[in-house]
Formats: sequence, C-alpha cells, structure tokens
Amino acid sequence: MTADSFLFWFLAIVTVTSGLSVILMNNPIYSALSLAMTMVGISALFITLNAFFIAGVQLIVYAGAVMVLFTMVLMLFDLKHEMQAFVKGKFTGFIKVASVGLLAGLLVGAILMSVGLFTEKTTDNPVTFGTGMEATKALGRILYTKYLLGFEALGVLLLVIAIGAVALSRSKGGTHEH
Amino acid sequence: MNMGKDAFEIIVNGLKLVIIFLMIVQLVPILVWVERRGSAFIQNRLGPNRVGPLGLMQLLADAVKFLTKESFVPDTAKPVLYYAAPIFALIPGAVAFAAIPLSTAFTVGTFELFGSSWGPYTFLVQGYDIGIGIVFILGVSSLAAYTLLMAGWGSGNKYSLMGALRASAQTISYELALGLSIVGVIIMYNTFNLTDMTMAQQGPLHFSFMGYTVAASWLPNWGIFYQPLGALLFFTATFAESNRLPFDLAEGEAELVAGFHTEYGGFKFNMFFIGEYGHMMVAASLMSIFFFGGFGIPFVTVDQVHQWAVTVTSTPNWASALVALIHFLVFNVKFFAFLWIFIWVRWTLPRFRYDQLMDLGWKTMLPWALVNTILTATVVYIASL
Amino acid sequence: MPLGGVIFIVIFIAIFGAFLVWLSIKTGGKVHYHPVKYEPYECGLPAMEKKDTKVSVKFYLTAILFILFDIEIIFMYPWATTFRDFISSGQGGLVFGSMMFFLIVFIFGLFWEVKSKALEWD
Repeated sequence: MTADSFLFWFLAIVTVTSGLSVILMNNPIYSALSLAMTMVGISALFITLNAFFIAGVQLIVYAGAVMVLFTMVLMLFDLKHEMQAFVKGKFTGFIKVASVGLLAGLLVGAILMSVGLFTEKTTDNPVTFGTGMEATKALGRILYTKYLLGFEALGVLLLVIAIGAVALSRSKGGTHEH
Repeated sequence: MNMGKDAFEIIVNGLKLVIIFLMIVQLVPILVWVERRGSAFIQNRLGPNRVGPLGLMQLLADAVKFLTKESFVPDTAKPVLYYAAPIFALIPGAVAFAAIPLSTAFTVGTFELFGSSWGPYTFLVQGYDIGIGIVFILGVSSLAAYTLLMAGWGSGNKYSLMGALRASAQTISYELALGLSIVGVIIMYNTFNLTDMTMAQQGPLHFSFMGYTVAASWLPNWGIFYQPLGALLFFTATFAESNRLPFDLAEGEAELVAGFHTEYGGFKFNMFFIGEYGHMMVAASLMSIFFFGGFGIPFVTVDQVHQWAVTVTSTPNWASALVALIHFLVFNVKFFAFLWIFIWVRWTLPRFRYDQLMDLGWKTMLPWALVNTILTATVVYIASL
Repeated sequence: MPLGGVIFIVIFIAIFGAFLVWLSIKTGGKVHYHPVKYEPYECGLPAMEKKDTKVSVKFYLTAILFILFDIEIIFMYPWATTFRDFISSGQGGLVFGSMMFFLIVFIFGLFWEVKSKALEWD
C-alpha cells in the first residue's frame, strides 16, 4: 500500500466513523461535535484531491462557522425532554426504520455508482497538480468570468437570508419574548 | 502523505514538527515570566524576583505546583469533554504555527550513513507548506471555538457555559474583520503563500504606479507602507481572537468568575494557557509576515545574504544553513517584538464592555475593513492603467 | 502534499496532552471527596439553576450573520489572488466592476442590519 492510499483509507475511516457517530450518539451535543469532526475529515480529503482552497473553505465555513453555531445552540437548550421524546415512541420507531431504509438505498446506490466508475477513466475533468495557488487561481478565473452571474446572484441570496434571519429573530411570541 | 521521499527525510520532517510544538510549549513559561515581570515594571512593582536569578526559577516552581494539585472533576461535569477540552486546546495553535515559514529553506547534500548513500535534500524551516498558507491558518484557528464550547459545557457550570458562549460569540465576530482585513494583503501579494509574501517584501520600497516606477530607498519594502489600515485592523482583530485584554470578556472576573475555565485547575488550566499563548504566537508571526517583511532583513534581499554567505563558508550546504540561521534570528526579533506588544497592551488598556466590544467588531472594524478592501482594489486597478 | 505532517502532529499533540493530563492526575495526590467540595463553583452559596435556561436570541443572530458574512468574505479570497492576473490579461475592468457590485450588496446588507438594530447589544 502506498503512502497516499494509506492516507486516503485513514481519512476515510476517520470521516465515516465520525459520520456514523453523529447518528449513533444519544446526546445531540456529542452528535454535533462528531459532525464537526466529519467536516474536518472531509476537508482533509479535499486536500488529498489537491483542492486546497475548497478544503480551506470547508474548514472555515462548515467546521469553523456552521458547526460552531449548531453546537452553541444545542449547548444552550436543555434538550432532555426532546431527547426522551426522540428515543421512544411509535412515530420515532417508524422514522428510524424509514431512515435505515433510505440510508441502505443510498449506500447501495453509491456502491453501484463507484463500481460503474471503476471501468471508465474520467479524463474529462483535469486535475491541476502543483502548488495550491494554481488550483485556487484556476477557480478564481472561472468563477469571475464564466460563472459571474451565479456569483452575483449568490451575493443577493446571502443578503436575502440575512434579512430573513433578522426578521425571524424579531418575531414576537415563542420562548424568547422578554 | 509524502512527508519525504525516504526514511531520513520523513524522520527529519517529523522531528521538525515535534521541535516546533515543543518550542511553543517551552516558550509559554518564558512568556508568562516576561508578562509578570513586564506587568510589574509597568505598574511600578517588583514582580516575581525571589525564586532563582531574576525570578526565573518561578516557572519551574509553578510547574511543580501545577503538578501537585489535586485532580478535580466537578460532579456535574461530563468527564469525557471535561478532559478532552484542555488537550484539544493545544491543537489549533500548534497546527497553525507549524504552517508559518520561520526562515529560508536549507539544503543537505549527499552523504553516507548506515552503508547507503542518502540523496540531496531541501528542508523548509517550517512544519509543512500546505499550499494555501493563510487560508489553512485561518481555518485551523477557527476550530479553537470548539475548545471554549467543550470546556464550557463539559464543566457543567453555568458560569463556564456563559463564558464559553460570550467567548465564542466574540471570536466569531472578530473573525470577520480578521478575514476581511487581509483581503488587501492578498491583493497586494497576489498569493496565499506566506513564503512568497515574505519574498515580495525584500529590498527597499519600490512599486509601479500608472507606468511610472516609484522608489524610496530610505524605506524597506514592507507591507505596512502599503496597508497601514489593514495592519491596524488585523492586529486589533488578533487580540480579540486570542481572547487577550482588552478583549478578554470571556473571563470578565466580576461577572463570570473566570469564564469557560472556571472549573479547571492545575495542569489542565495550564494547558488552556498554552493554547492562548499559541494563538498569540501565531498572531505575532502573521503580523510580522504580512506587514513587516517576515524573516527578511530590512533593505537586504535573501539573494544578497546568500552571496555573502557563500564567501564566508566552505560548501553551498553550509552557506544555505548560515542563511537560514540568520533569517531565523531576524524572524525571532520581529516575533518577540510583537509578543512584547501583546503583553504591553494587556497591561495598558482597560477591558471593554460587552456591547462596546460587539459594536467595535461589527460597526467599526468590519466597515473599515471593507473600506480598506475597496481602496486597495481601486488603487491597484488605477495603478495598472 | 504535506497532509501527513498535519495528521502526525495532531496525533502527537493528542498523545502528549493526554500524557500531561494523566501525569497531573497521578502526581495530584489522593482525592479527598466531599459532595459540597465537588459541587460546581458558585460563590459559596447553594447553586440555583433554572430548569431551562433562556439565552438572548442575539447570540444565535450574531452567529447566523457571522456565517453569511463569512461566506461573502471567503468569496473575495480567490478574487484577491486573481485580480492582478485579470488586470494583466485585460479583463481588469469587468472583474473590478463585478466585485464592486458584490461589495455594494455586502455593504447594503451590513448597513441594513445596523439600521434595523439587529446588532444592538444592551
């Protein structure tokens, strides 16, 4: 086994294990921390694919921002009642069985896809080797010319989300009324 | 993977990482001593001066005291998170610091060892060069928020939790200004790579503006002269990121006892301290790389130093080693100057109120960082016309 | 690709830190347990704890706004690295203008949030 494939298997096992512990942990806070670990693992996998900038974004945005928010929210709510409701009951059992079915389907689909991909060589998406800067610059060159409209639309979309978040936080009623 | 192409290179690179980590750990007691003596000097006191010469043995005495403390876990704590948090606190600072170039690379020629010949090597004076330099460092540093949250929630104390909440809200607020203040730097140097940034700051000040070449031989070609506003914003934001005064709201003693590490004592508390100082070291070295020429000597390029080194040493390998050593020392001078400024500011400025802190981050620093970005882009665009 | 180094140092620090914690437990001496001593810290009074702690929604709002602005800032990074390349290839005006539009949307968002007092702390 070469060093690169050893690294891949190591990262894959770490990522999948922490991904599994997200759904197997009873306490939602441990689940959130495992999900953060999964994000870090995915970021490392991106580095093995030479997608350095995407790896950095994964680390900054998902592991460093989104999951921090999730963990913060979960730590502040006392989720004991919700946990009880989620562990027992017929409805929960149904959801669990349904999720297992969906997950199994997804897994079978993923395996079939990758078996199908073994035979054909994917040469139509070239991988740029070299330093991390070349890949990042290639991304920049495409993003600000070919996908310019999508980029500007994203700016507007983020603005709409920000306004929506502020509006939601202002709505009266619920548990946060002073 | 590829830490090296054969066993020797892998071992050297591994040892290098261990040495960098141990350097951080060893620097902490020295900085604590400097901080205590320095604060005493600023406040017209004596500071620790009883144990050993100049009180230097105080560090050892403190370490022994930390080790003999009774191991304490509150009954309400979650033991796994409670113990994991201080261990995790060591990781982000050290991993980020290892990505910082401390000097120029040095070469080792072929040599015979254990009956086989080992090829020529080039070793970076840096833990690893991950390819995206600053983005990697920002990403790893942003993981430090988990330390706060794990410690705060794992302690099972409401003061810890509130302290962790405040601290993480503060770090994420200032991360915006931090990230935005270096966009101008990236435009200037056109790269994320920290070594390339350092190399771009060699020699005296010179740049081209609308086809004319402007040169000022009495100033070094440092980033601070191109990005003064960015430097100020970046330095301020790093204070908030490392939770130091005047931004140490996380441990506002009157309201929150001691913040997220209320329930920690002994060596576990000390490990949080190492983490905090690790962030400080990353900030100080980034400051010197972005705005003060990194390991470069002012007015002198690396090539000039290398030419001089060739004349005084016998082999090219020794010359490259001498160049690396000189630049490492120059880097350390700048590095310690910024660490001293961190300590100096801590004992000079009072603490902010929480609403003032948030206002400063969102309503002052973020808009000014935006202004800096727009200004830099406009000037760069006009200069190219 | 120096990822191996990162993983190596993370594992090394984890082992090193675990060793330090283990050492401090071993050298810490005998644990003298008393239920009052092992209560969470509370200024010498019996701890008062509400069943469900309410925390200001400001913290969540700050975190959500942080994520949004963080994404916008991340999108400026590849632009900052390629801006000079675009200028030298003659597309500088287009890329400059497109980023200025993006920044105007950003500034409008920030301005609106300050105006709507979403960032007020009291």
